[in-house]
Amino acid sequence: MSLLDTRERRRASPPPPPVAARPGLGRRIRAAKWSYLYLAPMAVLLLAFVIYPIFASFGYTFYHWNGIGEPGDYVGLANFRQILHDGIFWGAVRHTFVYAFVLVPVQLLLALALALVLNNPKLKFALFFRTVYFIPVVTSAAVVGVVIQLMLANFGDSAGSLLAKTGVTDGHIDWLGDPHTALAVIIAIGIWHTLGYNLVYFLAGLQTIPAELYEAAKLDGCGPVQSFFRITIPMLRQVGVVIVVLAFIGSFQVFDLVQVLTGGGPYFATEVVNTYIYHLAFGGSAGAAAQPDIGLASAASFLYGLLLIVFSALQVLALRQISRRRTAAHQ
Amino acid sequence: MTSSNVSRRGLLRTAALGAGTLALGGGLSACGSGSPSSSADALTYWDWYVTQAPWVDKEIDLFEKGHSGVSVKKTTQQNAKYADLVALANRSGNPPDVFMIPQVPSVAEQVAKGWLHPLDEWATPAWQSRFPEGTFLEGANVFDGKVYSAPLKGSGPLYQLYIHHGVFKSAGLTNPDGSVKIPRTWDEVTSAAQTITKKSDGKSYGLGFGNADGIGVLAWWLDLFVRGAGAPGGAPTGAGTGLDYRVGKWTYGTDRSYADFLELFVEWKKRGFFHPNSVSLSDEAARAFFERGKFGMTVGGVWNQPEWTQHKFTDYSLVTLPSPTATPKGFYYADPVGNGSFAAVSAKSKKAHEAFQWLDALTSPAAGRRWVEDLNGVSAYPAGNDPDGIDSKPFAAFVGMTRQVLRGPVPLVRNPELAGVAPGAPKPDISDVVTGVYTGQIKDIQRALSSLADKKYQLLSDAVAAVAKQGKKVSMSDYVFADWDPTKPYTTKKKA
Repeated sequence: MSLLDTRERRRASPPPPPVAARPGLGRRIRAAKWSYLYLAPMAVLLLAFVIYPIFASFGYTFYHWNGIGEPGDYVGLANFRQILHDGIFWGAVRHTFVYAFVLVPVQLLLALALALVLNNPKLKFALFFRTVYFIPVVTSAAVVGVVIQLMLANFGDSAGSLLAKTGVTDGHIDWLGDPHTALAVIIAIGIWHTLGYNLVYFLAGLQTIPAELYEAAKLDGCGPVQSFFRITIPMLRQVGVVIVVLAFIGSFQVFDLVQVLTGGGPYFATEVVNTYIYHLAFGGSAGAAAQPDIGLASAASFLYGLLLIVFSALQVLALRQISRRRTAAHQ
Repeated sequence: MTSSNVSRRGLLRTAALGAGTLALGGGLSACGSGSPSSSADALTYWDWYVTQAPWVDKEIDLFEKGHSGVSVKKTTQQNAKYADLVALANRSGNPPDVFMIPQVPSVAEQVAKGWLHPLDEWATPAWQSRFPEGTFLEGANVFDGKVYSAPLKGSGPLYQLYIHHGVFKSAGLTNPDGSVKIPRTWDEVTSAAQTITKKSDGKSYGLGFGNADGIGVLAWWLDLFVRGAGAPGGAPTGAGTGLDYRVGKWTYGTDRSYADFLELFVEWKKRGFFHPNSVSLSDEAARAFFERGKFGMTVGGVWNQPEWTQHKFTDYSLVTLPSPTATPKGFYYADPVGNGSFAAVSAKSKKAHEAFQWLDALTSPAAGRRWVEDLNGVSAYPAGNDPDGIDSKPFAAFVGMTRQVLRGPVPLVRNPELAGVAPGAPKPDISDVVTGVYTGQIKDIQRALSSLADKKYQLLSDAVAAVAKQGKKVSMSDYVFADWDPTKPYTTKKKA
């Protein structure tokens, strides 16, 4: 066999492997039956308690119904019109977005800073500090709310009077009763309450960055600041995107803190969309006379759902755009 | 199929059945001992009375002693869920024999749904005659000429101004004989609040409240202070309530008493008379703060008293209808419609006769007097509301105030077809508006009041129009009593 023969043989493409016929859907399901069996309970719960209520509540949007008996008072699109013309709804949307857009950046910056400190291998008692920062997460928001309310309002000498007496504040401030401070207090408590989640996510992200990168950077003369911006931040980008998305999703679900601390008051100054929907559905809001109206609450939920879908789409588009720009800049 | 398969499937089926039975049993037992189906012999009775439970229990004891062989099994349901539970019990065909009538749906709707048993068989004219005149009203507790319920409670002044003696004495607000100088006019309240705030050096405030619970506490203040100023509609928080029947409208924007009081209210706040945490305090905490002398005056109802009595705090007074002048120009008015339907016998009860006997006992004059003596409220029977013999001095003062409750116009008496009118409540309502004014979120008080009055009128008009559409002869003029003088008792005449 000559060398030429060998070259020719190499150039010729090898024959394609025989394509096995793709098994049918039924066979594939049968093959993975245990996987489906394990997934089934969660899927059933999801269908029963998430998917079904979404569609069922959409039906209620066309009725005026107090939740007792069968809905019979058909009102067409009147519920949607009422919600869209309700200043309190738009106020609640504004408060929800303010809550999310203040809480998320502040909390993530704090969580990242703390994660960097706690990730330092030289730090003593790191486990203790991690536990301390994570404890608020495992504490019920309702319990946190009750305790803070006791401290700020319902104790004999509340924090407000102590701050005033010690000259920290100019006069006594009713922190939860003043429309200028109530939402800020809720945001501050929200930041503290769920900081631990993001701290743990960032810690996990930091621990995936190989130590060799930092060592190499040090040999190349990089300082800690340069290492942070050139290594830590780029390496955290993937996990960071997930953390941002989860943080926004979490903050749009704010309910229990607001309900326990202020009930949406004073005069709707802290009403967020979830408390607004709750008050429509079950009454008992700052407007004590308001009668429960499941139809109106369902319409508000539907509209808020649409708003969140639009926001999520914009968020995905924005993140994709940023990612594309960065890729283009690196090429 | 092998025998092994059969036995495995059978075992699974048995296990599932057993688990289901256990779950159902557990669920039923979790519903409480008062589940109607759990006691075959006893009369089942549902209420939402918690603080009044000792009175109910005492009545059950007396009833069982007087009716051998009949026992009552009481279930006290959670107030907030009571309407849902009664609706569910009726839908499942398993309601209690006797139950306190829930506020939702309306009594008219409950009758229309067939939940209530007509009492005519036992509620003879002789039986009805034991109640005060005007108790049985078509559209309130009588429907199509049939009686469905009877009253337990009477009408007292809904709100009072509570005055802490200790705080007043510390501030030197006493008469020459050493007794506390009780403020009865707007100016006297202002002056007392100013003195307390100034002299206590930050330890006490003149006024205080607890608005955090969203129960409309600030509307109580407006209601209490504007009635005496000549706004007979006051500022109640219930849907469709608070009209000035002289004109058949809400007069928040046209009667200057409302704006005048709110301006005074804001002035009190600006001058530091209110406890600074009032907006974020709970009503419960405010009650405790008042008891400890953190503020000298607060507005509340008779429901404040049991807790203070329990804590042995009785060093306080109460007044109602503080007015701009010494003589009130408006009063509280009796509510024969709201009080008229206390409890009912279920249409599904298999022991309807015994059930009526229990209802009869609960609404008897003797039970009414015991209701008063146990400091629960006032009785439907005027004779039962004698302050003599009541141990608690503040409660005796409250009972004595029933004289300041006048008979007012009752649209339902004039036109029973109004029974189906169910207006919605606006949001924001009057309690929200007062909160907004207090916190400074509402700057234009007059505009906010006028806008709310218009909204409430529109909601009532819509509700009246909806009933008229069903062929009923109702109109907004049914709410106008042009000949009514709010300072005198009024007898509503039936529509010709």
